Amino acid sequence: MFHLSQMDQIFLKSLADVVRTSRTTSQYDKLTFTTQTIADIKNEIQSRQESVRYQALLKLFFLAMEGNNIRWAEFQIINLMGSGDFQLKLGAQLAAHLVIDNQSQGLIMVTNVFIKEFKCGHVECSTTLSCLGTIANKDLSDNLLTHVLKLTTNTKPLIRKKAIAVLSKIFTINPMNISGNLEMVIQQLQKETNISVLACGISLFCSVLKVAPKLYPLFLSIVYDQISKQKSNWLLIKLVRISNKLISLEPRFQGKLIEHYTRLLNQTNSKSLQYELIYSIMKYFKNHSQLYESAGDILKQFLNHQDPNLRCLGLECLTHISTSAGLMEFQEQILESFKKSDYFSKLQILQLFKDFTNQQNFQTVIEFFLKHSDLESNHKIIESLIFIITKDKFINVDDPEKLLLIYIPVIAQKIDTIDNAIRFKEMLFELLTRVPGLKVYSDQLCNQILQTYATQSDSLQGPTLNIVQRHTQLKYSLNHREIIFKSLIMIVGESVKLLKLEALTNIIQFLEQLNILNCYESSLSDIDSLLFKIYIQIIKTDPQNEIIPQIEQLIKNIYNKLHNISIVKISFFYESLIQNKSKDQLQELQNLYEEDLPPINLEAQKFIKPPEGLDLSKSFQIDIEEIEKIKNTNSEYIEQKQLIQQQQQQQQSDSNQKEQEDQNNQIERRQENEEELKQFNNKVDPSPKKVFKINRDEELPPGIDQNDIKKFKEEE
Amino acid sequence: MINFILMVNKQGQTRLAQYFQFLSVKERMTLEGELIRKCLSRSETQCSFLEHRGYKIIYRRYASLYFIIGMDLEEENEMAYLEFIHNLVETLDKYFENVCELDIMFNIEKAHYILEEMVMNGQIVETNKTQVLAPIHVLDKAKDE
Repeated sequence: MFHLSQMDQIFLKSLADVVRTSRTTSQYDKLTFTTQTIADIKNEIQSRQESVRYQALLKLFFLAMEGNNIRWAEFQIINLMGSGDFQLKLGAQLAAHLVIDNQSQGLIMVTNVFIKEFKCGHVECSTTLSCLGTIANKDLSDNLLTHVLKLTTNTKPLIRKKAIAVLSKIFTINPMNISGNLEMVIQQLQKETNISVLACGISLFCSVLKVAPKLYPLFLSIVYDQISKQKSNWLLIKLVRISNKLISLEPRFQGKLIEHYTRLLNQTNSKSLQYELIYSIMKYFKNHSQLYESAGDILKQFLNHQDPNLRCLGLECLTHISTSAGLMEFQEQILESFKKSDYFSKLQILQLFKDFTNQQNFQTVIEFFLKHSDLESNHKIIESLIFIITKDKFINVDDPEKLLLIYIPVIAQKIDTIDNAIRFKEMLFELLTRVPGLKVYSDQLCNQILQTYATQSDSLQGPTLNIVQRHTQLKYSLNHREIIFKSLIMIVGESVKLLKLEALTNIIQFLEQLNILNCYESSLSDIDSLLFKIYIQIIKTDPQNEIIPQIEQLIKNIYNKLHNISIVKISFFYESLIQNKSKDQLQELQNLYEEDLPPINLEAQKFIKPPEGLDLSKSFQIDIEEIEKIKNTNSEYIEQKQLIQQQQQQQQSDSNQKEQEDQNNQIERRQENEEELKQFNNKVDPSPKKVFKINRDEELPPGIDQNDIKKFKEEE
Repeated sequence: MINFILMVNKQGQTRLAQYFQFLSVKERMTLEGELIRKCLSRSETQCSFLEHRGYKIIYRRYASLYFIIGMDLEEENEMAYLEFIHNLVETLDKYFENVCELDIMFNIEKAHYILEEMVMNGQIVETNKTQVLAPIHVLDKAKDE
């Protein structure tokens, strides 16, 4: 400690000087200024003059607000807490929370200081209690518990309220202190009339309930007494909040509160109290219709209010309704408020609908959100819509046909992120797998979505997803449009057998457009395999060869436009296949690969020139025993081969019968599909529509056999 | 429970900070910087409630100062805390008479004292302006004498 000379005191900087200098100092000189100031403070805080120390303390405060570390001053501040000057003590106590934490070594020194302060005047005592409430740790709270308990009976309400507030921290830090002491505090609170003290008491009960919820019976009577007679809004808010906790622990308490809640709801104008009551009623009083209705009316006012804070709180309240029927009641108001809401509130509303949409409001919800999506919230809206559609294996979807042909194309157009494109793809695959009859509409779906893609030239704009193929290590990038494009191509490829000739022709004509081929370069191999599937299907279904030449020309045009070398290599086989115009040659290829090749083909020698000097009539084998062995094995082989051939013939006859039955079934299915398409094209909405059953079992859906899957795999 | 109360100006300078759980200086500066940036980016048509780093944030703007309260995410009445912020500003205004940012900067210990009278251990203990300012008037009288 040292004494500043008069000269030094003249040049002593006060807080105001430091503040002014800080504001005028440039950013580059700030560090120098701060270092210099801290050095001055370190000197001044050890001065004997209280005014100097006080100024140092204030400057320390300011530096802490500026973001400087002042923990080095812990010992000095604790020292100042024991000072004789009240102003210094107060400053030190206020600064304590900046330098002291639970593990500070200096807390041991503070105990006696606090005990001494508790015996002083009410102002010193109250400031000490405030400081204790901020810095208390387990040891300090155990040491000072008895003193604090004594202060709860002080004549001054200021002291009583702060003592109870400190007790809530002591009981939270060490719940062992509760037993024996809590009952005493409750008895005092039952006689208490000061609102602030009672409010602190209710906060104490809340803290105890967190740590020891089984003690709730001690609080029931006092809470009920206060809620029936109090008029202070702040206290009532605390009482309603603690009542929520008590109701969850003791449901019978709910019945006692109905009358008081009704009275408060009708009388109060305070929005915060109304909100607290509505929140409690929505969560716990659903069975009491009259109260629930009155709360619902006020909630509707909140949802329609001009103040965005009240709208936000109204939405938060609705999350506790937890039933779809409950949400339906407020649906109109919620959707109206969506139009005016900010991004955060829109997310809240989307979350609500994600949780509570059902079959009844499914169409309304989808149509509304598709209509009111904007740039900022579009990706979240699409994500939520896909979630609502796919929730619980399409439990909300009652009309899969309408979903596929009307809503899904609109959703596809609005997708602008890769994540949503992947979700969309998965949704589409799952929908078409679970609902067997929908694959027939795959070409219409493609047309509707891809028409927009053809007109827009922004092919690779936006973020892209980098993909490395496993078997080829080929790297390419996809944006969201291309992901959807690939998935649609794949879907059409899988439904080729169900589509009509006209539909298949339209698809090839669409793909012929040069801008499609240029835009979706990474998907050319998918387009390639689709063309191959379409071509094979057309060959099977066009026995009279009417459309095949047209199709072949279209496919040739496509390959002419392709300049990508890798695609040319892959399509070499297809091109040569197309050049074989006769069907018989294709059949020959098939026969070639179906039969087993014999070990020696006598006719091969016609084309293979034997080497010079080789005598074909001369036998290789000189050993007669070996020759006989070979003859025997050959004869055994020939016998076995005959048996195998007989078996194969029997199998062929069986499979021919099956094929005939399949063809008959296909013809029947085609007829049914034509009738369905007619109905849709007429845009009539007949009540007895074909009911699409969504298969929600995890096994294979009906209409799909293991053989079909094998065939698809073989073809691919 | 309230975890912190801040008064930050538009330049991101903290004028008053009261934390009810201990955070290091670095954590405080990061948190304050992020919060003020978030609050500045919000328009007047947006609500005053948001979530940040596991805290529920309630803020209100008065001229160039943002009053920010950070609470636990558990059920709390945001409207009540919004009204508390207004109550705090009215109390400061009553004491300083037309309070401004400079009043808080030059009388930082008094601003802290008023706040401590209103909030203790993260709980609101007093909202009556007269009761809050009574001890500080006693101190001012004693100082004058």
